[in-house]
Amino acid sequence: MRYAMAIDLDRCTGCHACSVACKVENNLPNGIWWNRIMTVGGEAMDTPEGKFPNLRMEFLPINCQHCENPACVKACPVGATYKREEDGIVIQDYDKCIGCRYCMVACPYSGVRQFNWKKPEYAIEVDMGDANVEPHQYNVVEKCTFCSHRLAQDLKPACIDTCPNRARIFGDLDDPDSDISKALKGRSYFHLLEEKGTKPAIYYLT
Amino acid sequence: MAVQTSIPVESKKSGGLLTPWNIIFAILALVGVTCWGLQLSRGLQVTNLGTTNMWGLYIVGFMIFTGVAAGSLLFASVPYLFKLDEFKPYTRIATYLGAIASIEAASLFIIVDIGNPERVWLFITSGNFTSPMFWDFLILAAYMVLSVIFTRQLIQVHEGKKEESSLRPIAVISFIAGILVVITSFVFSFQVARPMWSNPVQPISFLFSALIAALVVQMILAVILNKSGYIRMPMNLLGKMAKITAVLLCIELIIVVSEVLMGLYPGAGSEYEALMWLVAGQGAVGFWLELVALVAAIILLGKAGSSKGSRVIVGALLALVAIYFIKVNFLQVELFNPLLNYAGPPVYGGTTGPYIPSLIEIGLSLGIISAGALLLNLGLNKLNLGNGKASK
Repeated sequence: MRYAMAIDLDRCTGCHACSVACKVENNLPNGIWWNRIMTVGGEAMDTPEGKFPNLRMEFLPINCQHCENPACVKACPVGATYKREEDGIVIQDYDKCIGCRYCMVACPYSGVRQFNWKKPEYAIEVDMGDANVEPHQYNVVEKCTFCSHRLAQDLKPACIDTCPNRARIFGDLDDPDSDISKALKGRSYFHLLEEKGTKPAIYYLT
Repeated sequence: MAVQTSIPVESKKSGGLLTPWNIIFAILALVGVTCWGLQLSRGLQVTNLGTTNMWGLYIVGFMIFTGVAAGSLLFASVPYLFKLDEFKPYTRIATYLGAIASIEAASLFIIVDIGNPERVWLFITSGNFTSPMFWDFLILAAYMVLSVIFTRQLIQVHEGKKEESSLRPIAVISFIAGILVVITSFVFSFQVARPMWSNPVQPISFLFSALIAALVVQMILAVILNKSGYIRMPMNLLGKMAKITAVLLCIELIIVVSEVLMGLYPGAGSEYEALMWLVAGQGAVGFWLELVALVAAIILLGKAGSSKGSRVIVGALLALVAIYFIKVNFLQVELFNPLLNYAGPPVYGGTTGPYIPSLIEIGLSLGIISAGALLLNLGLNKLNLGNGKASK
């Protein structure tokens, strides 16, 4: 099994709903975002490229690319980040992470790995999201898990179910009948920084 | 015949522990411990690091002291491998310095940098063989062991308990280990995410800056210990060390200037933008200070032959400043100019730079350096490392 995600850039409106769904589902601490919607061309978030009236808005959602050849896995000195053999998801073991941040240095997709610089604080006093989410730890690196706790319950990642424009598609690349295998058929796509040889599992449909 | 074998055997300085310098170093070390306590209780938020610039002063300290450790082993082994007798009396101090520097780099600067120091044993029980950081850990552990063994054997030869010829194996191993400081550069240059680090000149630059760092620390020590009578290093020897350092600094200068010019020449592109950030943007102050320190150190050390120790000291300190900025700028120019640089939701810490260490980072680093200075002073006091009258 090889889990992968496709993001249809023609459908993405930059609404950030997937970011918020991820934040709530995984009970992310303040300041931590595993899934961020970047603005292409604009100087600040959600600002257009160009000058009026020739403006253009374009978005690029970025989360962990769950690479087939992950730079972070090679770099981690203690094996706290590893690739699951059964489905290809890159996992961060909070209990093993020494907090050296070498994986953040090694990852070409800047910002998808985030460090808890302080004790996790939350927007509200009660925990949000799924009860099976691993508790967040102080001084460790964390990142998108493809909602592995939801996959264990035969559910799709939270960002997939939330996207109002169905811009995100998820599934098993080894299954020709999966949503993602069907979505990739006949479509052109690219990977982020493909030339770096990391072989990402995120397909950007164009 | 080795020079040091002519020195009386019973030489040991019988000084007290509570000298003013030892007290100052101990107090600064305690300041460092306090800063670490604050960092442990409040988290790495007390540093000025962030998601973009996740590495800073502690990693710079790690790079510099790894360099001192490796350079010291090279400095100590070369006289025995290439028959440079005039340097042999000073190799005991070099190996002892190497031992302390490797403890500083391998243990202290890394331990304070990582978020969970209580898990550091995972390096041993769960080491990842594909990680350059793990290779570096092995090298630094080897430096510690080698420096201690080498120091012990040198003292034994000095005291007449061993033949000088018996030093050859440890000298060969130490020389090879010293050269392997290039592995520290692999921590950086093996990363596809960091194209400006990924370049074959980096291992050479790391090797030369290691030698520079070791030489300047030893020149500063030599001037101080000459004055106190602990060693008797002739001025022409100090001048030779200064000139070798000046040549190495020239090579570093050529590397730095070439890298910048090569990046700027196209006039556009990601590397151009990153280097503009360095020479005329947020990183400019650090870059120009680096160049000024490099040039000034080259001039002072290059002309140090017949002058007094004060010129060497100033030149050596400027060389240390230059090495510091070389390492800081090397880190910053890459970290603040990542491959993907889109506007998006805010991340923790700054994204534009420059990175200026927080007071806690500075206090903690000073504490680590002071702890090293204290160990060095104690070693000079208790071990048979000198060749002057005051060391007897």
